[in-house]
Amino acid sequence: MERGGLVNIVKRGGARASESFRRDKLHNSIVAACIGAGAPTGQAETIAKNVTEAVMGWLATKPEVTSHDVRRVAAKRLHTHHPDAAYLYEHHQTIL
Amino acid sequence: MDIVTSLAVVTLAALVHASFQLSVSVLTLLRSHSLGAKRSKARTLRLTTSFVIGAGVMTLLLLALFSLVLGQFFGSDAPDFVWAVACGLLVGVGLVVWSFYYRRGKGTTLWIPRVFARHLSERTKATKDPAEAFSLGLTSVISELLFIAAPLLVSALVLIHLPAPWQLVGIIIYSLVSLLSLLSIWVLASAGRPLSELQKWREANKSFLQFASGGALIVLGFFVYVCKILTDAAGMS
Repeated sequence: MERGGLVNIVKRGGARASESFRRDKLHNSIVAACIGAGAPTGQAETIAKNVTEAVMGWLATKPEVTSHDVRRVAAKRLHTHHPDAAYLYEHHQTIL
Repeated sequence: MDIVTSLAVVTLAALVHASFQLSVSVLTLLRSHSLGAKRSKARTLRLTTSFVIGAGVMTLLLLALFSLVLGQFFGSDAPDFVWAVACGLLVGVGLVVWSFYYRRGKGTTLWIPRVFARHLSERTKATKDPAEAFSLGLTSVISELLFIAAPLLVSALVLIHLPAPWQLVGIIIYSLVSLLSLLSIWVLASAGRPLSELQKWREANKSFLQFASGGALIVLGFFVYVCKILTDAAGMS
């Protein structure tokens, strides 16, 4: 079984139903942030793969986390690879 | 008010309109989602272009509607109390913009109803073809009506007393000038500027933009008050 697959993600504010961690969802959101920050697609995929692996390593010992925690940890890891993408990733929900 | 002064008022009102950030935020999100979904540059360009055209069309239609309604009620010259209401609205909205335009905290979150913001955000994510992007442009201007109603109202009041060809010129000037901020973001983003850079600039300068928008509304309110109401009262028109 994939690491992180059984981790329960509690959504923001607890208003929406929680869901299982989905690796592809995290990967795609990081790719989107990297491309938005001007990274080429290949580099974006590589960074997303590394960040997703790091987040899954962090999730390995946790049965339940909030979506905010996942975003925070992913942004921290992403910052070491691409600070501009991390900015966009962190602030995506505060654009509007 | 002569034609030059009238068109200057319309231009300043349109600049105030251009300084509001809702459509710019939606355009930023639209481009971000489109790039994130790995759509081609050409497709992303079509989406963002349709959005800008939609916003322009809705602005044009709203100003034409305001002018038509005022023209139907008051003919070619509205009474002074209507001008006074418009000036009061400009100053009031200016003070509201100074106090409340952005929500506290990081980012460029606006004081629009969260239901609107969520709807726009979800629609932006779901937008896949240019027709949807066009309608999103229309909707984003309507969502901003709370702030743009005052500059639209004063522009309409100015326009209805102009000769018909100048009314058309005024409407076109307003529509084009009000799109300046959107067009700037569209050009920069289409030319390859990263969205992170544009968003960082917007966040770093949000206080200035808020001050400029509110200040310009108040200045416009006082200018129109002096130019129209006080001049009429002094019998100099």
